[in-house]
Amino acid sequence: MKRFVGLLGVALLLMLAGCSGNQESSPKKEDTPKSEGQKESIGEPVEGGTLSIVDLNDAQGLDPHSETNAQSMHYIENMYNTLFKYKEGTYGEIEGDLVKDYEISEDGTVYTFTLHDGVKFHNGDDLTSEDVKYSIERIVEQLVRAPQFEDIETIETPNEQTVIINLKKPVAPFLTFLAYPMNAIVNQSVVEGNGGSLDNVDAGSGPFQLVHWKKDQEMVLEKFEDYFKEGLPYLDQITWKAVPDETSRTTAIRNNEIDVILQLSPKDIQLLSKSDGLSVEPVTGTYWEYIGLNLTAGPLKEKAVRQAIATAIDREAMNKAVKFGQATILAGGPIPEGHWADAKLDNYSKPDIEKAKTLLKEAGYKDGFDISLKVGQNKAQVDAAQVVKQQLKPIGIDVEILQQEDSIFFDALGKKDFEMSIVGWVGFVDPDEFLYNIFHTDEVFNQQAYSNPEVDSLLEEGRETAEQNDRYDIYKKAQSIIVDDAPMIFLYANQHASAIRDGVHGFDVNPTVTTKSLETTWIDR
Amino acid sequence: MKDTWKRFKQNRFAFVGFLFIALILVVALFAKWIVPYDPYFMDSSSPLTSPNGQHWFGTDQFGRDIFSRILYGTQISLKVGLIAVGFSLFFGTIIGIVAGYFGGKIDQVLSRITDVLFAFPDILLALVIMAILGPSLTNLMIAIGIVYTPIFARIARGAVLSIRDSLYIEAARSMGVNSFQIMLRHILPNSLAPLIVQVTLSFAFAILAEAALSFLGLGVSPDTPSWGIMLSEAKDWMEISWWTAIFPGVAITLAVLSFNIMGDGLRDALDPRLKNER
Amino acid sequence: MFTYILRRLLIAIPVLFGISVLAFFMVRLVPGDTVTAMLGTNYNEAQAEILRQKYGLDQSIIVQYGLWIMNVVKGDLGISSLTNEPVFDILLTRLPITLELSFISILFALLIAIPLGTIAALKRNTPVDYGASFFGMFGISVPNFWLGTLMILYLSLHLSWLPSSGFVPLSDGVWANIKTMIMPGIALGTSVGAVTMRMTRSSMLEVLGEEYMKMAKAKGVTNSRLIWKHGLRNALVPVVTVLGIQAGYLLGGSIIIEQIFSLPGIGQLALQAISNRDYSLLQGTILFIASAFVLINLAVDIIYALINPKIRYS
Repeated sequence: MKRFVGLLGVALLLMLAGCSGNQESSPKKEDTPKSEGQKESIGEPVEGGTLSIVDLNDAQGLDPHSETNAQSMHYIENMYNTLFKYKEGTYGEIEGDLVKDYEISEDGTVYTFTLHDGVKFHNGDDLTSEDVKYSIERIVEQLVRAPQFEDIETIETPNEQTVIINLKKPVAPFLTFLAYPMNAIVNQSVVEGNGGSLDNVDAGSGPFQLVHWKKDQEMVLEKFEDYFKEGLPYLDQITWKAVPDETSRTTAIRNNEIDVILQLSPKDIQLLSKSDGLSVEPVTGTYWEYIGLNLTAGPLKEKAVRQAIATAIDREAMNKAVKFGQATILAGGPIPEGHWADAKLDNYSKPDIEKAKTLLKEAGYKDGFDISLKVGQNKAQVDAAQVVKQQLKPIGIDVEILQQEDSIFFDALGKKDFEMSIVGWVGFVDPDEFLYNIFHTDEVFNQQAYSNPEVDSLLEEGRETAEQNDRYDIYKKAQSIIVDDAPMIFLYANQHASAIRDGVHGFDVNPTVTTKSLETTWIDR
Repeated sequence: MKDTWKRFKQNRFAFVGFLFIALILVVALFAKWIVPYDPYFMDSSSPLTSPNGQHWFGTDQFGRDIFSRILYGTQISLKVGLIAVGFSLFFGTIIGIVAGYFGGKIDQVLSRITDVLFAFPDILLALVIMAILGPSLTNLMIAIGIVYTPIFARIARGAVLSIRDSLYIEAARSMGVNSFQIMLRHILPNSLAPLIVQVTLSFAFAILAEAALSFLGLGVSPDTPSWGIMLSEAKDWMEISWWTAIFPGVAITLAVLSFNIMGDGLRDALDPRLKNER
Repeated sequence: MFTYILRRLLIAIPVLFGISVLAFFMVRLVPGDTVTAMLGTNYNEAQAEILRQKYGLDQSIIVQYGLWIMNVVKGDLGISSLTNEPVFDILLTRLPITLELSFISILFALLIAIPLGTIAALKRNTPVDYGASFFGMFGISVPNFWLGTLMILYLSLHLSWLPSSGFVPLSDGVWANIKTMIMPGIALGTSVGAVTMRMTRSSMLEVLGEEYMKMAKAKGVTNSRLIWKHGLRNALVPVVTVLGIQAGYLLGGSIIIEQIFSLPGIGQLALQAISNRDYSLLQGTILFIASAFVLINLAVDIIYALINPKIRYS
């Protein structure tokens, strides 16, 4: 689950495919404000009530297997179940959802899953192993996330409750893939009844079922009475609205018109954390931003030039100017602190203009050069571009900012039609996801055209290694090479924050940007 | 000509507009020497400071001086106005004169094309053209230029029609002067009055259009001190800093207003019979 | 009369045809195609080919236009590649919002324009008249998006009277709906009001100078009756035309105003279609807006001819 975050809205997240990594990631830092306070201190869950949630944009469609839009995912994950799910309050750990028990063979290629009994779809059909098989096959057919399952050889369904998946070779993050909320189990007969498309229908078994969805107006979900988890969900109804305008969202929660705001901007975190009657819950999220450097042509082919840029950038100042100082700067690689695979590198924590100039001189560009920098519609990235332009001026690099519509911009990135870019990724859980598709030679998201055989073999090794300690060493080494080669200049990891009105409990702000915990969310007022 | 100037000066409204335009022009030409700060300079120690002795109009989220950026903004507005309007004037007039002078099939076709272009709201047409050409200041000027071309075509055609069959054109034609010469020497000069008025009014439209497209984030590069971009950025910050949203808007309004009242005054002065219509 | 209407209709047909050609080909000139936009970084040639076939993008452009226009005539504008819904249906759900916005704008415009224009004409060359002229100038000069921003700043953020944006459907309560429409309506209506005010003023001045007005006055018809019954009624005839022309402005202005106030109308749809490179949706929306403009003006011309006996039908 990775996607570019598009902005202010337009989260037309291109996404997909992913790669690996299950295994647990470390628990978060102690001091991270988390939802425990809420969850523990307040008595027994209360049933009933309507929760009103506001997101930046509306969904595009409701088909879990083909949707790539962040907002769609929030709706979808409450309507469907997956085999596994991310464990609440953790970053990267998983637990069974539809799966009651599972076994993995010694060699890591045979997975045997036992499903819960009596799971019903919203239309009353039973959810069986056949539906699981059908769903995984459909995911592959829909292409969007096919790469996650490309190593599946066969899927067997010996009885209604058992699924056996045979892999061609071990895939360390396989269970993490299955926990990805969009790898949902769908009802085959509903899919077929709708001509193969789930864009506007509900074929799920999740805690909530679709009442109606008026595009760009509202989405209403209601409690699914026959949900297989006893006593859940607590809420009777959820309404979602898309309000792209940040000001009206903050006004609405202050006027008690809504209960939850998702995806708060740094400015609003600042603003709302001072308000009464609500709490802002930020966690260092998985959304990190970077300057991409296209290695195929021009001065950026030179490693010294890239290092010069990385050295000249003042990340702390950018953080201050663009993110109110709320992001966590990335002085080394992309994996943020708090994650077990954080390599704790510190190559670029302080800008050094003189050193940058020397590096440029070595590369034969002592008078600098002109270059273009592409950005999409994401406001913070457009702002960051303006700061980068100013920060590179002293070393003689004259940046021209080209702002494009998101669809054009992402297209250009995919085609490597850019010199510099500013963009971000979100949603990675396993280090393999953070690194493989982006830095391995010729991989799908390697927009920088980076290629280093040593990194390639490290990443391949990490993918097939099960032990976390071994993987830590592998990924640390890979990251230090990448940081030194500087095909990307890592800037910062953002906070992921929601504003929650008092009285709402059990709403977990997951760094991976999912809202699955609505299953156990309740309201007391 | 003297009469025109006299009539124009008597219209105090219009004269004030004229003076203000002159001021904008001076600021644009000498911005480099007038501005108190580099309009691109980011002072990270003073983001979003309210107007004070150092920063008359306050600073934006990067600590850039808004006053300096507004002064520089005159360059963008005038440049867009000049080139976009020049574009529409040039092509529009040619199309209009050709259509009016030759009449018949040519006129039919050109007029229908003009009608078609008129049917598209200007912002929509400009947006689509920008999508085709890609975002840049040059493309923005071309887009606005194309959008306003039909207006000039229509005016020029109308002016030609009113004199095409007059005696002196007949006379020129019978003396064997070729069509091109007639259009250039006789018809064009006679179409000037309404065209001059339209040029002034189109300047106002062009400034507005640039601001609107930039406001939507589809115009010029985001660090350009364009008034529209400043307003668009201000939208995010005005909750805590009103000044970011006030001054650029005042600048746009004043500039557009000046061109509008000057255009109105010119119309009255050049031809008192012309109607007071938009 | 009949021939006049017929002639106007006949002129409208080639214009509508021209609009369809322009809408279609202009959109095709836009770089980047829907298929790559849809697939994003997931792009692969085989999948792209399937989608191209699905949307008929693999045929020659002339054929594509032919197919498209034939479907358009049947009321089928194609399927949006973004949402997979018929474009026509999307337009229909968005239309009421833009219509309501336009209606409120025009209402606001008329409420200001007619009294102000009439008074300005009656009190010609007095401070009242100058004030009105200044308003007229100001109204067409102030950018509607700034006016909208200012209202948000003052009425929403400062006074918390009105929601700063977002849309509430009429079915959720009339007042709640109107609250979301007032500011955008005023922002969009101001320049319409200014133009209409200027028109009202000048046509009122003209009417006041007419012989029959002088005669009525000589006959002792009271002043207010004179103005309302004889003056304004005649003066409003040309105002109708101006409003027709302003309809085009409203459609264009709605693009930016709906964006600011997050109203899911046709204008916002146009922007979404552009930024997502959704061919069918963009073509459909452009075609719809431009045709609406032509048809409204056609209707206005005909109404004008019907209510104004003085027009010469040549």
